Amino acid sequence: MSLFKEFFKGFYDENPVFRLALGLCPALAVSNSVQNAVGMGAAATFVLLCSNFIVSLIRKGVPKKIRIPIYIVVIATFVTIVDLAMAGFAPDLHKSLGIFVPLIVVNCVILGRAEAFAGKNNVLYSLFDGLGMGIGFTLALTVVGVVRELLGDGKLWGIPIMGANFEPVLLFILPPGAFLTLGLFLGLFNWIDSRMKK
Amino acid sequence: MKEILKLGGILMLITAIAGGALSMVNSITKPKIELQKRLALERALLKALPTADSDAIIPVETNGQKYYKGYESPDTTGLVGYAFVAKGKGYSSEIETMVGIDTTGAITGTSILHQVETPGLGTKIEEVTYGEEKPWFQQQFMDRTWEELKLDKDGGDINSITGATISSRAVTSSIREGLKELENELGGFNN
Repeated sequence: MSLFKEFFKGFYDENPVFRLALGLCPALAVSNSVQNAVGMGAAATFVLLCSNFIVSLIRKGVPKKIRIPIYIVVIATFVTIVDLAMAGFAPDLHKSLGIFVPLIVVNCVILGRAEAFAGKNNVLYSLFDGLGMGIGFTLALTVVGVVRELLGDGKLWGIPIMGANFEPVLLFILPPGAFLTLGLFLGLFNWIDSRMKK
Repeated sequence: MKEILKLGGILMLITAIAGGALSMVNSITKPKIELQKRLALERALLKALPTADSDAIIPVETNGQKYYKGYESPDTTGLVGYAFVAKGKGYSSEIETMVGIDTTGAITGTSILHQVETPGLGTKIEEVTYGEEKPWFQQQFMDRTWEELKLDKDGGDINSITGATISSRAVTSSIREGLKELENELGGFNN
């Protein structure tokens, strides 16, 4: 086990969205534009980093029977901090992410890392794990967001780039587009994986 | 029994620390959030009543109706018009629009205060097309009185947004209804 490995595993090998199929709700809901995807990813990464830090710090004092409620309290605290800070300092982003910021509390990537990693490993490893997983989550959302915004709206980061004659495929920014795009990516990565094993 | 007390105690300790931390964060962000809200309202009011002085838009509340009076100079002389918030049920949210009218009842400006419509469809009520400065959908309301606020699909001539008829209709009819009420409240406009 090396720090390097803990950090990079979240990018591909254990990418929370594409490989572990965790945190799919926000991945589907707020990947309709690149801006939303990056904003959501950054917020989730911050929460993941902080919750992994605290959880691994207190892991020896936490009784096994009540570890889940304690993790949830820790996570909810950081989510509320993000929510308040975003409302105060980035009101436009806060407006467009809406209900999905408070819903980071129930994002299973975060509780999943607390339970599977931070509760069992030391602070340094947990920080690297949290950061790597957070970046992996952000990358996944961004990749889906690029496809959806480009095909569904003809834009990237809110800037029209497909030209005036491009007729956007509205389906892609609607919920079915999220399922289609995400499903195709999951299939693609599974295919790459099976090819590499051969 | 003893274990329950111990577990409960630990949980209480954790939540107390979390609560303390949050109240600290809240005390820092609260004034910021209020400032952002006030700024957003001020920006919307100035968009609705572009000819009014920014210090001379005064809230009025009568018979449960709330609106703003805009004056052209800071000493509140020279009434230029009224502004109010129109609310309508959209596709996935309540759409709140700040609407400004001059003294004859013609719309001088609009600005969406709140909406959580479908991104890429309903959100086009706020879309500014490339090279333009103002949202094209709302520009259609300019200089119109409430009688002329009707979507093309309802027999009027306001172009609705493709794929977002419900959002378009919510904005248009909420402004229409709001203006009608305001006209009653003021006892008619000076046409």
